[in-house]
Parts: sequence; structure tokens; C-alpha cells
Amino acid sequence: MASQAADARARAGWLRSIGAVREESWTAPDVRRRLQLVLGGIWLLDGVLQFQAFMFSKGFSQLLDATAAGNPVVVADPINWSAKIIADHPTATDAIFALIQVGIGLGIAWRPTRKLALGASVVWALAVWWLGEGLGGVLNGAASPANGAPGAVVIYALLAVLLWPGRQDRAAPFVAGRFTGATVARALWLVLWGSLGYLALAPATRAPKALGGMVAGMASGEPGWLASLDDHLGAFLTSNGPAMALVLATVLALVAVSVFLPRPAARAGVVLAIATAACLWLAEGLGGMLAGGGTDPNSGPLLALLALAFWPLASATSAATGQQKTTAATQPVSPEGA
Amino acid sequence: MGGPPWLAWTFASVVIVVAAYCLTRLLVSWRQHRPSDRRIDAIHVLMGVAMAGMLVPRLRVFWAGGWEVVFGISAAWFAWLAIREFRGRATVGGRPGHHLQHVLACGAMLYMFLAAATAAKTGGPAMSGMAADAAHAPTLALVLAFALFGYVIWTADRLSSLAPVAALAAGAAPVPVFAGAAAGGGASPAVGGEDGHGTPGDDGQAPPSHGQQVPLSPRLAACCEIAMGVTMGYALILML
Repeated sequence: MASQAADARARAGWLRSIGAVREESWTAPDVRRRLQLVLGGIWLLDGVLQFQAFMFSKGFSQLLDATAAGNPVVVADPINWSAKIIADHPTATDAIFALIQVGIGLGIAWRPTRKLALGASVVWALAVWWLGEGLGGVLNGAASPANGAPGAVVIYALLAVLLWPGRQDRAAPFVAGRFTGATVARALWLVLWGSLGYLALAPATRAPKALGGMVAGMASGEPGWLASLDDHLGAFLTSNGPAMALVLATVLALVAVSVFLPRPAARAGVVLAIATAACLWLAEGLGGMLAGGGTDPNSGPLLALLALAFWPLASATSAATGQQKTTAATQPVSPEGA
Repeated sequence: MGGPPWLAWTFASVVIVVAAYCLTRLLVSWRQHRPSDRRIDAIHVLMGVAMAGMLVPRLRVFWAGGWEVVFGISAAWFAWLAIREFRGRATVGGRPGHHLQHVLACGAMLYMFLAAATAAKTGGPAMSGMAADAAHAPTLALVLAFALFGYVIWTADRLSSLAPVAALAAGAAPVPVFAGAAAGGGASPAVGGEDGHGTPGDDGQAPPSHGQQVPLSPRLAACCEIAMGVTMGYALILML
């Protein structure tokens, strides 16, 4: 009996033991919720990165203004307009931007506001994609998988939609299909990875020395290990740029179609997608975060997160029903001190 | 690179408020015997004071040096608690994690003070410039920031599982709860509270019962974790 009591105490945190934890209404995070939390964490990181000193300077507005170059007037004019406002009021606008992103991150994490925050994240991401990233350079020919095309922030919006906690989940062989349905989710995957494959063959990537120059250019300001890695990779790509662009396009095309293949091949496709995302992230210099001027981690982590949402589950049924497990049936929650 | 002064003051104000609140919790808990995790409250007081001085040098009201020792010992202590927690729970199928959060936070504080001390020795801008140029191992700072934000998000997700104090006071939440059954094991009632040294009994020691004493707000304690984590992450990002 004493042993049982000791076991119970060991299991239960002090908050639970005094009734401060509402076990009965608590559900442990399922796979989709965990992916939402990762997304929330990235938003929080973005928000805090936005508090860096550089973002309060004129340099930030100039960075945004530069994304207008080469875009159609209808796209470029609003970018110039917003960059001017930011240049006139750098402190206020940047503080607001940072707070919005921190709010989105924490809002996704706090369950009562997760839908509101996910919805806000879609609106905010699309606005930033246009006004902050110039639509990812898709229309001005500067887009490349190695520089974050089609715009990291648009992947935030895509993830928010695919991970949306709908009232009625659909049966789908992967988490990303629960809200939109598997067909729509697969189509979105195909469009994203297919467009990345297409951009890998575009002149911005395929031209001699284009890829190498892009990657080597990321090395500036990075810590030694990353700068060295990007330098070596850049040198290699400078010598073999067109061929490597072709290889990259082939890999991205394989990833794009893998989601339509049987489960073992689809899983291999997801693994390939994650590995590709990791390589792209290194080529992107981890989004420039270690150089002190990164506003976000760039597309690498988001592509990997998206790939995880497409991991084929054991069965479509488990995807639809396996989410409502209470802590009583699974592992205990330990929120004490949390 | 040190960030705008007004922003440093804002974050410093946040951690000072957290530290003051946690100090109040300690006093109330001690005077009124209301359950609270005094270890966490105490470390938040220390972190708040240290971080305020780190962000705004004018707020170094206590001492300038020695924080490395304080947070080094704290990290080791929480690591020991985490190991005990892990061992205790591993035998019954539970999950560690509670103390790891504080190991991480203390480790992050230790890193920041050591980096600042190194920067000062090499003629860098010291803590006022928590800044990057003189800081060492920026990759480690980024990794620590990632981990801290992860814990902030993890904490925020669990926020709504904590009963508000009003509900606890009204007896809406049962005291004590049959935690063993809730964890999927036996039906032994868990008698919670703090041990004789001012620490709660989540480490398996037999704590005395506090009867129907209303605990200090667990939600506000969690909010303190969140505020502290975000501020610490900001300080780490400044070191990139």
C-alpha cells in the first residue's frame, strides 16, 4: 500500500495532487496539435527575431523596398508604399510587427485562441508575402529554392490551413489531409514542390555560377563552421551549377509526386523531402539568423514541418480518430511549474 | 546590435514584475502555508534580478559578478532533480520534463553570463552589448533560444489544463485528486503539498498535507515561465 502511494506520488506532480490540474478536460496533444505547436514556436522565434536592432533601422525598410524591384507595378507599388511607411516610423512599425508575430505564436500555443491565431497567421503571412517578400521573387525571376522561394512566409499560411483544427475531421492517410481532405492536400503539396522543381530549372538557379554565388553569398557574417560550409558548397556549385540544378529539380519533382504513391514510397518521399529541406536550409545559411539579420528561419524548417504533416500514417482511420486520447489513457501531463 | 534601449527597459520591466510577483508568492506561501513550488518561485526571483541587470546595466542593484556560480549551482541542482524525476517515473511509466525546463533556463543564464564575461575580458562591449560581435558560440545561443521557445510553447499549450484559483477556492477542483488513477495506474490517492524544506512532493518524498489550503495561482506561475522564457530568448537572440 505504501509502495502504491509512493508510485502515485511519483506519477503525480504537486499541482495535480492538489487538484490544480484539470485532468478530466485535458487531451494530450495529438500529432496535428504537435505540428501546430512547432508552427507556433517558429512564429514566436520570428517575432523575437523581429526585435533585433537591425529591424529598427532604415536598413530593414530598404530590405523590403528592394523586393519590389522587377515586380509588376501592381505588385511593386504597395511594396514601395509600405516600405516608405516603415522607413518613416521604423520603431513603431517594427515593434508592432514583432508583437503581432509573438502574439500569433503564443496564440497558437494557447488552446482557446488557436483557431483565431491560425486564422490571423494566414492573413499576416499573405500580407508579408506580398509586402515583405515581393511574392517571394516568383514574378521577378529572382526566385530559387536556394534563396527561400516561393517565399518562406507563404508556407506558414499553407501550414495553418493544412493543420487547421476543424470540427469534423476527414479520413486521410496523413495529418495534413484531415481538414482539407487528402485530395486537396495532395494537390497543394504537388503545386508547392512542383513549383520548387520548376524554379530549380529557371535561369536564377540554372545559370552558370548562379547557384554557387547564391550559396557562397550566405557565408558573410555567419559563424565559422557555417561560413566554411557555405563557402565550400558555393565553390562546388560554382563549378557544377547547371548539373546540380538539374539534380535538384529531379529530386524536387520526385518529392512532388511521391505523395501520390503507395505508402512505402510515400514515406520515402517524405524522408527525401525532409533531407532536401535540411540541405536547402544549410544553403540558405539557416535563414541568416546567425548573421544577425535574419527575420525568420527561411523555408528549410517549414518545408520539413510540412513534410512531417504528410507522413503516411498506419491507416486513414487512425488519422481521423486517433486524436482524442485523454491523459488518463496515455501519458500523464506534467504542467507543474509550467 | 544591443537593441534599442527602450526595448531593453521594456523586457527588464517584465522580468522585474515577474521577480516581484514570485517574491510575493514565496512570502505568501511561507506565511499562509499555501501550496506553491517555492523552488521555481525562488529561481524566478534570481533570474528576474539577474536578467534585468543584464538587459539594463543601471539596474544592477545587487552585485555584478558571481551570477555564474549561482546559476551553475542552480542548473546542477535542477539537473539532479530531473535525474531523480526521471528515475522515479521511469519505473512507473511516467514522463520526465518538469525540471528539465529549469535546467535549460539556468543553463541559458549561465551561458549568457559566461559569454558576457568573456566579452568583457577581450575588450568587448560586455553585457550592455550582449551583443554578438564579442559573444562566443552564437550557434549555442541559437540552439538555447530554440529550446527555450519550445518550452514556452509547451507551457502555453498546457496553460488551459491548470485550474484557475477561483475554481480551486470554490472547491470546483477536487482536493485531493486520485492522481494515480488519473495517470492510468492504481487508485492510490496522492496527497500533495510541500515537503519540510519548502519544496513540493513531486520528487516522491512524503509531503505533509495542507488540507484545504488554496494553492497560489498555478496559471500565473505558468505565465511567469512564459514571460521569463520569451525574455531569455530575446537576450539570447541579441547575442547572435
